[in-house]
Amino acid sequence: MTAPIVFEDVRLEGARPTAVSLTVPEHRAISAVGEVASGLDRLGPIALGLDAPDGGRALLFGKQVTAMSRRAALAFRRQAGYVPGGDGLLQNLSLADNVALPLQFGSPLSFREIRSRVRVILSAFRLADAGGLRPSEADDEQRRRAAFARALVFDPRLVILDQPFDGIGLGAAAELLDLARGGEAADGPRRAVLVTSQVLPDRLRSRFEERYRVTGGTLRPDP
Amino acid sequence: MARRVTRTGALARFFVRTLGSWMALSPGGRRVVRRVMLNQIWFTALQAVPIIIVLAGILSYLVISQTVRELGRLNATELIGTLMVIAIVRELGPMLTAIAVAGRSGTAMAAELATNTVMGEIRALEGIGIDPLQYLVLPRFVAAIVSVAGLILLFDCVAVVAGLAAAVMNGMSSARYFDIVLRSLSLTDVWLTLAKGLVFGIVIGVVPSFHGLGVRRGPTGVPIASSEAVLVSIVLIFICSALFVAVTQ
Repeated sequence: MTAPIVFEDVRLEGARPTAVSLTVPEHRAISAVGEVASGLDRLGPIALGLDAPDGGRALLFGKQVTAMSRRAALAFRRQAGYVPGGDGLLQNLSLADNVALPLQFGSPLSFREIRSRVRVILSAFRLADAGGLRPSEADDEQRRRAAFARALVFDPRLVILDQPFDGIGLGAAAELLDLARGGEAADGPRRAVLVTSQVLPDRLRSRFEERYRVTGGTLRPDP
Repeated sequence: MARRVTRTGALARFFVRTLGSWMALSPGGRRVVRRVMLNQIWFTALQAVPIIIVLAGILSYLVISQTVRELGRLNATELIGTLMVIAIVRELGPMLTAIAVAGRSGTAMAAELATNTVMGEIRALEGIGIDPLQYLVLPRFVAAIVSVAGLILLFDCVAVVAGLAAAVMNGMSSARYFDIVLRSLSLTDVWLTLAKGLVFGIVIGVVPSFHGLGVRRGPTGVPIASSEAVLVSIVLIFICSALFVAVTQ
């Protein structure tokens, strides 16, 4: 089966140029850690075709998204869940409406079906009582939970998380990571997960099947 | 100069892509777009009604009361019909309305979309497979057309009524005023007014969105995008007005 993400000799030019060759296979949670200067936070957008690498290429489910038409790329991206750094929630919508939005645009469900599905998702993410809050009224953890819920609303095979644990407690981080993994299958997590971050809390390290770190300008395995 | 041509080309492509985004809307997406559009019409049209009434009323009162007096001396009061129709209903009404909407809603639109961009919300939307053109631009675009066209009609109606008040206060009978104005008004004027509503609405729907989504310099880019959006909108409104005169004469 095609790996969800493949970075082939991707070059990230920045304050500290970084070379990335990495495969994110099915049923693996992978962390990639590096300083801001390494430009590692661009990996998620590059995989999704939102950003172009300075060299090399990135494949999402075997396809180069940047080569697709704009409309095809938008539809294709729905196969992956994405939580950008800083959560990316729309400020003028409630948390529940933020979660409902991808379903409204990308599914044939009726308004009522979407409402009930969102209610279930919010409960799973412990947001049942916070769904009516706007992002500015919610705390960091609630916002992050809503961003995860929005990313996982289509139950994707792959989740890309950029700085997902910033500003939230370790317990919530572990819980959200488990939700992103989608439960355990015989050969690992049900979903493939790619986390890019500046730091990875020690207690979460064991939850990643593979860990990588930028060392000497290259992303290398982090034993 | 080359940069300006490039920007104009980008603006034209943005307009075409906005139109094209309608085709790809899912039924659920249409519901969302309709809801956002109604919100925008509420803000752009309904909340602007008082300012349009004030503008139309004062402008028309000033122009008609002055001219009735002056033209009365020359025994040429018949001309206030022409003046009302050509100067106010056909030219100033659409232009002032569009400028008022550009200043009020165009600024807000550009600032909101620029903030969305700077906060990473646009990229997040694209990342989860939602087209910002469909969700953010298309409803504003349609709402701007509906709102500007509606407000221009309102402006013209208020102007005619305020002109009546001015004429009556300067000694003209209401029957004569309506006779003169209605004789000068043709169906072409109504169509022309609506056509201007459509064109100015397109300008106000597209230009602020284009500048808002094109912001690149972080939070400091937000006010720059807003002011550029309004400036370009107003210049385009003037150019389009001139083109209308050139084409219809």
